Amino acid sequence: MATDKELADFLKSVEKRAFKRAVYAVRNDDGALDIVQDAMIKLAEKYADRPAAELPLIFQRILSNATMDWFRREKVRNAVMSSLSAVDPAEPEGDFDLLELLQGTDGSPAGESAADAVSRAQILRVIDAEVSELPTRQREAFLLRYWEEFDVAETAAVMGCSEGSVKTHCSRAVHALAKSLRAKGITP
Amino acid sequence: MTDNRHSHDAQVLEARYAMRVIGALNAQARALPADVNERLRFARERALARAREARAAAAAVPTGVNSSGAAVLGSFLPWLQRAASVLPLLLLLAGLALIQQWQARENVLAAAEFDAQLLADALPPDAYSDPGFAEFLRAPPPQP
Repeated sequence: MATDKELADFLKSVEKRAFKRAVYAVRNDDGALDIVQDAMIKLAEKYADRPAAELPLIFQRILSNATMDWFRREKVRNAVMSSLSAVDPAEPEGDFDLLELLQGTDGSPAGESAADAVSRAQILRVIDAEVSELPTRQREAFLLRYWEEFDVAETAAVMGCSEGSVKTHCSRAVHALAKSLRAKGITP
Repeated sequence: MTDNRHSHDAQVLEARYAMRVIGALNAQARALPADVNERLRFARERALARAREARAAAAAVPTGVNSSGAAVLGSFLPWLQRAASVLPLLLLLAGLALIQQWQARENVLAAAEFDAQLLADALPPDAYSDPGFAEFLRAPPPQP
């Protein structure tokens, strides 16, 4: 059974990544915070008696389910379409501006690289945006596999798919990121 | 063999690239706005409080069984609730059984009364099986 300290340490270690994963999914900070809070409370109420080693896998499953529940609630409220349409046009627009900027710097006589031209914070924001633009399943597989450091079997268990699918999703996600970031002159 | 090695190399390269992307994501996550960090901290503390409540509730039941009758009743409460749900059905069956018993007793009493009257009559019971009595019953009633 996980102690209070183990549970607290686990939640503290995972909360930021969980928030980002939820933001990638719902594209809404408030919604993402609600999802993370629901997932934390459910983990604490129902699974606090489980060994600490089992908490990461359980939490990721709860987080995925909480995200699905959020979408269901939003659908009921007929707000999901409006929230997505409010966010979607803004992001490509921002990417487009940045892409133009990067292309402009690439074409400069000095041959200055994009990484030199934009600040580190901007590069991070672009990478963040590119990750959020990945197809949902690819992004989930990529984040679970590499960010949460789950192995292929654990990722497959959380996603409810085969291990082969996880490998395919991860590979496609990495290639898609590499292609889109290279197009913007960014090397992470 | 060559294909396997190529596939393995590709996976290693993918993982290496992925880890560089993850490094950027970690940096982004560390730089979350203060209000988001504060709300995450609040959510975590709320969750931990719920965990403590759940553990306290789970621990209270077994200790209460030994120390108080109320807790004993509490542990039997689910059983009592299940029993209460079938109680109306049991009452209905018992009522039907009582009604059947009462009707059987009424029939026995009526037959006993008939037998008593028959035996108390001046005419002996054998007379009813006499052929002459059967003829008397078939004959038309005498005209006044």
